[in-house]
Amino acid sequence: MQHEAVANTEDFGGPDIVSGPARISQAGIDPPYAAYELGKPYDEMFAPDGKVRGPYAALDSRLSTLSLEELVRRQQSCEQSFLHQGITFTVYSDNRATERIIPTDLLPRIITAAEWARLEAGLTQRIVALNLFLRDIYTDGRVLKDGVIPRQLIYGSKHYRREMRGLPVPHGAYVNICGSDLIRDETGDFVVLEDNLRVPSGVSYMLANRDVARRAFPAVFRSMGVRPIEHYPLELLATLRSLTPFTEDVSIAVLTPGVFNSAYFEHAFLARQMGVELVEGRDLLVNDNVVYTRTTSGLKRIDVIYRRIDDDFVDPLIFREDSALGVPGLFNAYRAGNVMIANALGTGVADDKAVYAYVPRLIRYYLAEEPILENVETFLCREETSLHHVLANLDKLVVKAVGESGGYGMLVGPHATKQERAEFAEKIKSDPDNYIAQPTIQLSTAPTFVGNGVEARHVDLRPFILHGAETKIVPGALTRVALRRGSLVVNSSQGGGSKDTWVLSQ
Amino acid sequence: MLSRVADSLYWMSRYVERAEHTARVIAVKLDSMVEQTPEDAAASWARVAEALSGEKQAVRHADAFAITRKLAFDRDNDTSLINSLSMARDNARQVREALSNEVWENLNRLYLRLSPVTMDSIWVHSPARLFREVLEDMHALEGVTYSTLSHGEGWYFLELGRHIERVQLVGRLLDLHFTAAANEGEAGPKYFDWLVLLKFCTAFEPYTKRYTASIRPQKIAEFLLFDAEFPHSICFSVDRMTEALARVAPGAPPARRAAVERLAGRLKSAVDFGQVDDLMRGGIASFIADVIRQCEQIHKQLYSSYITYGAETVL
Repeated sequence: MQHEAVANTEDFGGPDIVSGPARISQAGIDPPYAAYELGKPYDEMFAPDGKVRGPYAALDSRLSTLSLEELVRRQQSCEQSFLHQGITFTVYSDNRATERIIPTDLLPRIITAAEWARLEAGLTQRIVALNLFLRDIYTDGRVLKDGVIPRQLIYGSKHYRREMRGLPVPHGAYVNICGSDLIRDETGDFVVLEDNLRVPSGVSYMLANRDVARRAFPAVFRSMGVRPIEHYPLELLATLRSLTPFTEDVSIAVLTPGVFNSAYFEHAFLARQMGVELVEGRDLLVNDNVVYTRTTSGLKRIDVIYRRIDDDFVDPLIFREDSALGVPGLFNAYRAGNVMIANALGTGVADDKAVYAYVPRLIRYYLAEEPILENVETFLCREETSLHHVLANLDKLVVKAVGESGGYGMLVGPHATKQERAEFAEKIKSDPDNYIAQPTIQLSTAPTFVGNGVEARHVDLRPFILHGAETKIVPGALTRVALRRGSLVVNSSQGGGSKDTWVLSQ
Repeated sequence: MLSRVADSLYWMSRYVERAEHTARVIAVKLDSMVEQTPEDAAASWARVAEALSGEKQAVRHADAFAITRKLAFDRDNDTSLINSLSMARDNARQVREALSNEVWENLNRLYLRLSPVTMDSIWVHSPARLFREVLEDMHALEGVTYSTLSHGEGWYFLELGRHIERVQLVGRLLDLHFTAAANEGEAGPKYFDWLVLLKFCTAFEPYTKRYTASIRPQKIAEFLLFDAEFPHSICFSVDRMTEALARVAPGAPPARRAAVERLAGRLKSAVDFGQVDDLMRGGIASFIADVIRQCEQIHKQLYSSYITYGAETVL
């Protein structure tokens, strides 16, 4: 039983890169890309003429020497490695819990040094502006007085926390950990689709995928000068430490909702990698506005909490009183300055769909700079000209209700019937403030191993931004993949997977 | 160390110990049954079933297939091998950050491999082999636990769980065999059953090294109760428990430490100064019952001293 086939996919033997005349594969013709379709969206690996782009040449050479069986074997052993590591989420049906891995794809997605430099500058600019915005709306409200963004949009948001008003946060950093979602438009430019400013997850998959891809293609990896990402936990720890004025004996904990949470693996992973405690709400207690954990030797004080639970559940005395995940009194300890919480409470107000549309304006307002990274074009129905445009082009647009998520209150224009569009138009007219519209978004495609070859699948990009005393972005990201042919949905709950992202050093 | 983490490590270790014991008893029993008459085998299976499930088992219903299925794969039987592994793994998952990758992956892999196995798939061809392989995996788990974890407080909580469980498992086997010998006379355990009892506890070779191959119930009792060097003797486990208790919760208030160490000291002296000659006059069952009761007291005090203590008592 213990002699089962070795799970790892070491690839140290054999020729790693083909020598001899360089072959450049053609999408749709050469194996393993015979079924690779190039469409209107930007493709990460192939230029519009079907030839392999420069950064993918080494990977292409390697792929052309590997048999399909060998690729299948590597794919299977990487799935097995995920299963054994417990990188799984649980699906409940018929009273039985089944564990599934989040599918991972062997083939890396490659980002050039120049592309990364622009991403890094743009994301830094954005996080700085968003934090200035949060400080502003929780203190002076200058941006509201100046009429840059409507008051009602902020004060009416369910993520606005009045409890945070006037409360100073270290370095003015409200969002310490951010995971923005970006996509590439048809011209190949990265644009921001969403800022996740509350409790973004996925960084453990970024690191786990790196292990997989590096094992699957070690020589290609080595030859390409891929920038390392393994120091993420260290940078996260430094960011959390920077939130306290103390330099020694800082006691840090990761607060998890517990083992049943779908991101539990990540919470445990980060705690272990940083060497800090992983705690649940029931491990913590507050006395005299100081937070303690219950240890075998007695109570131990906690200085910084990296919380992986939503605002609503943090403290039943202040927020949802039915929360069993949080800690009664935690918010008062926070207000008293005795504990730091990352991210701060109330950051969700800034990643709301409507506020998102204002981010380019916020960047200009706070930094007097032009945004380096664009948003996906967004029409705010609250603005007269936009409203007319939206109503006249409903068949081409996706319209979303601002306060909703998960596809509720949404119209996908091109797929809707005439009558559905007419009904939705009435809804928009009766409450324009509540709606935004965007053109139907095309995600870029990237090579993905699908069992009998390599095909194009849609991908997005989630880099992770750390912001404490300074801003740090580890050169890497989670690339999420819509594994179903033609699908644009990258969420893991709906058939999405992920793959490693290689940022090149030059 | 967080109290909740200590709690999970302790229980993870108890379940691992129980799983290992169950796998070994089944493997030994499946191997040895072929050498017994059907009647003797049935009586022996009934004792095994009672020792492992805690339920009295009628000899005439003692069927090897049904008992193995119940003890190994029955998800409705709380103490089955698969349930013990599942509970060990659930506890390990809750303290993933306190374990090494090696420990977690060994345990997880073992559970994932055993999980789909059914009786029908193993019974036709050498069913004992599966359990021997599980045992080898469990030894590997024990090895990486010893060699990849720091031997700090967490490790001592694992030791506590392992040995408190082991005392009870070995104790129950001894109790059943000696009670049957006292009550059933000719129908009770025979030479071969005593030999198998030693094998249930991995004790056959160590026993023969100490007492030669002459198998005598009194010597078996002496060895499994009082031998200070053999890892599956009750004396050895009690020593380990006492040592582990001295190493956990270093900063706890003296009164709470004393409460649990006093109980452990009392058990240790009972075992250190026990004499098998006294016990052979019918006192084995009550001696073992007393040892098990004391273990339960230690368990309770361990919890109230270090894990579930009221926060108001320390503020």
